[in-house]
Amino acid sequence: MKRSASNSVTNGDASNKKMKKTTEEDSEIGFANLDENLLYEVLKHVDARTLATSSCVSKIWHRTAQDERLWELICTRHWANIGCSQHQLRFVVLALGGFKQLHSLYLWPLSSPNQHGRLGKDELKLSLSLLSIRYYEKMNFTKRLP
Amino acid sequence: MKRSHQETSVEEAHSIGKKLEDDNNMDEFLSALGYKVRSSDMADVAQKLEQLEVVLSNDDVLDSNALNDTVHYNPSDLSSWAETMLSELNYYPPSLDLDPTRMCNLTPFSDDNECSSTTSDNSSKRIRLGPWCDSSESTRPVVMLGVDSQETGVRLVQALVACAEAVQQENLILADALVKRVGSPAASQAGAMGKVATYFAEALARRIYRIRPSSPAVDPSFEEILQMHFYESCPYLKFAHFTANQAILEAVATARGVHVIDLGINQGMQWPALMQALALRPGGSPSFRLTGVGGPSEGDGIQQLGWKLAQLAQAIGVEFEFKGLTVERLTDLEPEMFETRPESETLVVNSIFELHPVLAKPGSIEKLLATVKEVKPSVVTVVEQEANHNGVVFLERFNEALHYYSSLFDSLEDGVIIPSQDRVMSEVYLGRQILNVVAAEGTDRIERHETLDQWRKRMGSAGFDPVSLGSDAFKQASLLLALSGGGDGYRVEENDGSLMLAWQTKPLIAASAWKVSDVTAEWRR
Repeated sequence: MKRSASNSVTNGDASNKKMKKTTEEDSEIGFANLDENLLYEVLKHVDARTLATSSCVSKIWHRTAQDERLWELICTRHWANIGCSQHQLRFVVLALGGFKQLHSLYLWPLSSPNQHGRLGKDELKLSLSLLSIRYYEKMNFTKRLP
Repeated sequence: MKRSHQETSVEEAHSIGKKLEDDNNMDEFLSALGYKVRSSDMADVAQKLEQLEVVLSNDDVLDSNALNDTVHYNPSDLSSWAETMLSELNYYPPSLDLDPTRMCNLTPFSDDNECSSTTSDNSSKRIRLGPWCDSSESTRPVVMLGVDSQETGVRLVQALVACAEAVQQENLILADALVKRVGSPAASQAGAMGKVATYFAEALARRIYRIRPSSPAVDPSFEEILQMHFYESCPYLKFAHFTANQAILEAVATARGVHVIDLGINQGMQWPALMQALALRPGGSPSFRLTGVGGPSEGDGIQQLGWKLAQLAQAIGVEFEFKGLTVERLTDLEPEMFETRPESETLVVNSIFELHPVLAKPGSIEKLLATVKEVKPSVVTVVEQEANHNGVVFLERFNEALHYYSSLFDSLEDGVIIPSQDRVMSEVYLGRQILNVVAAEGTDRIERHETLDQWRKRMGSAGFDPVSLGSDAFKQASLLLALSGGGDGYRVEENDGSLMLAWQTKPLIAASAWKVSDVTAEWRR
């Protein structure tokens, strides 16, 4: 769409041809200006490292790459079923800090020694436990005795 | 110092020699391999080879040209070869340019059967010294100290043991003189050894001068802080909690309601992870009721703790109920206090390092275990220190404790990722235990650690059967240790269904699970 727009502009003023050409090139490198939804779809398929790096590209990319749903995919992609439903897991993990945190704090260090970053049942269980402890430690309970 | 060590290898050598004497008096087995060693020389050669091993393990030496330039005339004559090597390498302790904080590594070395093999770790400088525990047993574990502080370290340990011996013999004048001499060498010794020695020296001094209480009184909130730092800095408490939780989860796998009685609620650090695991149970979370037992010094803190846990439970969707029980001592607990609901709840009793203080008063442990049995728990999880610090003879206790805490301090020292404040606080936390083990007596002495075997006997006679901890617990523990730094030092060991956490092959913590050995147990929900 963008290309045809610039084309119609080029068709106009000949002296601005060079400038238009660069704009055209920019829009072809338009991957950086990719629609957020499309970006999200693409990022659904990348691995953890790529996803993390993606969040450093630009503001839009950052916003998209931080999406909990993407990190949920990363966390649960290779894991052996720990038995509970997806919904259950999502509820608990989001309450305790989220998948992104779960991954960066615990799953990633646990998986690094492995070849493909395989996350087995045990790694996941341990990470969840540690996440819950961290949440608890950081809690400032609000209710006090009268 | 090398005396008894040598004696054992001499005995071994002689026994081998006697079996293998032939006409030339050469050792038969070695000659089969191409070496000519006289049977009578075996001990000597063994010693030289040990010395050589030690010297060669020093990296500096390998860089030198001495090895290349040495001329050997008959390598199959092991005796003279070893001697040549030693003189070429100028058998001295290596150079003084070591990082002082890594100078001293304290590791127990398991018994003499392994005297011919060094530990695989060659990056840190370790020198074997010989048994320093001059107690009656023939094979005593050996303590390894850093190269540079070798001599001072040895003297330090010798001085401590000598002082303890004097105390044992009630020769307090001598003990006093000795303990005064230990003070400054201990303080100037770097690394784990120095810290351990300082605490033991202080403990001995307190014992000699009968300073009561055994350790300086501190604010209970300070105790909490110390324990928190200990929790953060090393995996012992986490191992205890995770392993116990795993046993609990397995026992309540099909329960609709869970009631846990925690004999020492402290900060409640064990329970967030259990609640999270319950929340993620296939088929939904059971209701979770926690009864936390604490001492009078914790007071209000227990209730606040309950609120905090309740908030967490609400966040993750677990139906939660909390009750705090404050008692002076665990034997004050009565079954009615727990308000058990056997129709709807599966009961669990959890004790992390809470049983050993009960041993201070005779008869107490039996009463406590009887109370526990009466409430009919499905599982009782017990984690205790794996050490015998409750022997009747003071000197034995002293030696055991010196060995145990040296290991413990060493494990704190080795982990590079531990921030120093955590470590310092952990050392203070452990130091207080040392003071109690050595300086206290009677009901004051509460750090009465006993080994797993001893606890097995106690639990058995109280009417409990062991429950094996599954492989899941082992795997979790291994992963936890992998995350915890300290390199390869930590190990999980399986011991007849129970798990032990060991540092450099010395088990330090033992976790076990128990059920009531009752016929009616089979019909329990």
